[in-house]
Amino acid sequence: MNLVSLKTAMALPEIFLAAMASLILILGLFLKESSRDKACYWLSLFTLVATALLVLNGFSSNSVIAFNGLFISDPMGALLKIAVCLISTTVFTYTRQYNQDRDIFKSEYYVLGLFSVTGMMVMISASHLLSLYLGLELMSLCLYAMIAFYRDDKLAVESAMKYFVLGALASSILLYGMSLIYGLTGSLELSVISSTLSTIDQGNLALALAVVFVVVSLAFKLGVVPFHMWVPDVYQGAPTSTTAFMGSVPKIAAFAIIMRLLVGGLGELHDMWQQMLIILAILSVGIGNIIAIAQDNLKRMLAYSTISHMGFFLFGILSGAETGYSASLLYVIVYAAMSAASFGVILCLASEGNEFDKLSDLAGLSKRNPGLAFLLLVLMLSMSGIPPTAGFFAKLSVIQALVDAQLLWVAVTAVILAVIGAFYYLRIIKLAYFDDPVEGHSAPVTVRTDSKAALTVNVLLMVAILPWIGSLIDICNDVISNFGS
Amino acid sequence: MTFFEIAFYFFSAVLVIAATMVVTIRNPVKSALFLVLAFFSAACVWITLEAEFLAIVLVLVYVGAVMVLFLFVVMMLDIDLAEMRAGFTRYLPIGGIIAALLVAEIALVMHQSFLPADYLNPTPQGVEYSNTRELGEQIYTHYVYAFEIAAFILLVAIIAAIALTMRRRPNNKYINPGEQVKVKREDRLRIVKMPSDKPIDLSPVESPSSNEETS
Amino acid sequence: MLENYLPILLFLAVGLGVGAIAISAGKVLAPNKPSEEKLSPYECGFEAFEDSRMKFDVRYYLVAILFIIFDLEIAFLFPWAIVLDEIGVFGFWAMMLFLGVLVVGFIYEWKKGALEWE
Repeated sequence: MNLVSLKTAMALPEIFLAAMASLILILGLFLKESSRDKACYWLSLFTLVATALLVLNGFSSNSVIAFNGLFISDPMGALLKIAVCLISTTVFTYTRQYNQDRDIFKSEYYVLGLFSVTGMMVMISASHLLSLYLGLELMSLCLYAMIAFYRDDKLAVESAMKYFVLGALASSILLYGMSLIYGLTGSLELSVISSTLSTIDQGNLALALAVVFVVVSLAFKLGVVPFHMWVPDVYQGAPTSTTAFMGSVPKIAAFAIIMRLLVGGLGELHDMWQQMLIILAILSVGIGNIIAIAQDNLKRMLAYSTISHMGFFLFGILSGAETGYSASLLYVIVYAAMSAASFGVILCLASEGNEFDKLSDLAGLSKRNPGLAFLLLVLMLSMSGIPPTAGFFAKLSVIQALVDAQLLWVAVTAVILAVIGAFYYLRIIKLAYFDDPVEGHSAPVTVRTDSKAALTVNVLLMVAILPWIGSLIDICNDVISNFGS
Repeated sequence: MTFFEIAFYFFSAVLVIAATMVVTIRNPVKSALFLVLAFFSAACVWITLEAEFLAIVLVLVYVGAVMVLFLFVVMMLDIDLAEMRAGFTRYLPIGGIIAALLVAEIALVMHQSFLPADYLNPTPQGVEYSNTRELGEQIYTHYVYAFEIAAFILLVAIIAAIALTMRRRPNNKYINPGEQVKVKREDRLRIVKMPSDKPIDLSPVESPSSNEETS
Repeated sequence: MLENYLPILLFLAVGLGVGAIAISAGKVLAPNKPSEEKLSPYECGFEAFEDSRMKFDVRYYLVAILFIIFDLEIAFLFPWAIVLDEIGVFGFWAMMLFLGVLVVGFIYEWKKGALEWE
């Protein structure tokens, strides 16, 4: 046993995060009731920021394989991990007041959140089917529990049940696909799979079946049409604090699993999965945007918006070129920030006994809290991809990648569907600025200072007009050009 | 056909029959029992495929723990059979189509023998070969990273189970046997000195509790 | 390797045979004269008051799940115990770390009172 090949230090951020999560779990048991929840909350925020710093500290521009081929440390992984940690930090900040009001402000919420982030980081730096799958399960298991945290609420329990059953089904499909890949290539290591695939006959039916299984299970996990049925129910049923978490950060991990598995492992079969992804992406952008118009529940509307955004981000992946991957990377990071902030606005507005998740609740928001209304305005502009917001640049680079890949008709379809989608985002702006508040709901809304600060930072730094969007695009291009080298 | 091939096909046949019975039989208790049989025959099939450790774990964890607990619940639980079967005919066509599609796909793959030639005829291992030993040598050294992640998955399962199902019941009439045993005479009994020739007080008793203390 | 399991297969066959013989002997030899009164359900001589099935306390599942988790942990101990002298100190500490993480979970459930049946 050669211990040098382990290179344990490469996984220092993950180890730190898991250790701190266990520590917070134990501290939550032994601290006094009065200080417990607060201490756990602040400690979790500290842990996430410290983990991001550890990742930054260990950054190197070349890829290193550690743990006997189960773990890879590369620039793309580092960027994704930092994004995951920072966006989780902001989400945790928004959830505080909401959780306190609903008596789910417990150390368990934050401990499960931290373990979920650990799972995402394991996925992000997986170079082996085994670690990829275990990371995915660690992440999802925490999410199932966090959705059911409102255990006396029928809707929450029902949605957790749905998510759990469908998630287990998707996992088993993924495992079946992986087992076929293992049977064909004789290895679980993604780099070996990739090099073996170039030597075997690609007309093989078993290979096609394996790719179908993998793509279907990933589509399930992403929630793209036609595997999207669970998304609206889960987004609506879960406590908003959990929806904010699961609606933002796991998307970054989803990008990682697609890059590692489809691009890194099955890159040789690009022609095969490109066809499937085109269908999935066009269907989700279309159906997601059209059904979202009919929603009167804000969380449900954002769920359909997620479906369409996930479809849009697949456009970049399916182009199959480095520009496409880096466009998707930019898109997914910007989307995660936007999604976190949108749910953050709902969380800030929700008060005891009022979920604030109806569209009509937003009416006249500019008169009740001008600051929040402005942040919402910026967010919705960015979500719909109107210049000069970050959402515009993200959409633009994805379309650009499609054009570069000679997929002109796909690019045109994407633009048309995105324009349809702009309608319901703009409707929210109209509600907030031009409508009068509903009778009895016209009192000004006050928001905690720390949530407001995090929300402002979140929106202004990551969503609004970014002077540094150019450098972010450059970083994305850089890390992608290092991918797989 | 060798003896072990006969054993393989025998246990596979039992597995398929048991699995069919699990979903078609009316009584849920019998269905659970057939699931036990299915697990057991799957374990036997795995043994004929030389995956002895997996087979043992299947019997130990699924048959020994999961199914016994499950069976207990199914026996006691209030299940309305008619309601459970209500949608059966409605869902049968679509379920049947999906199942048929899956079978067809697998059959297509199996028909096209897709594995390299040396995969198809692995040589049987000798008497002294131990599958468990091979696994042990890999899990705790080569795959140590995956092994520790598995520990965290189990930890999350513990936290989730407790966070979702634990309820405090403060008004439960529960007696702690430990407390009961520790009781001393002084906790229950108080001897009060009473003068034997005190005149009877005819005014109403001031506090009702004074009566109880002396009893 | 499979030769080692031949005795178990024989054992299975004998077990099946004994069970089948016992049941069929009972069916064939015992007198069987069912009547409506004999077959009707009763409770201490009365008609049954209610269904014997009932709602189950969720705490049962909690105990069951916790049991299964630690049962799974045991499954990992078997191969470890067999190869301990080959995998050496490294393998030993790998398992200690695994157990340590589960001990954290055990402390949690103990302090939370999940093991108490109040």
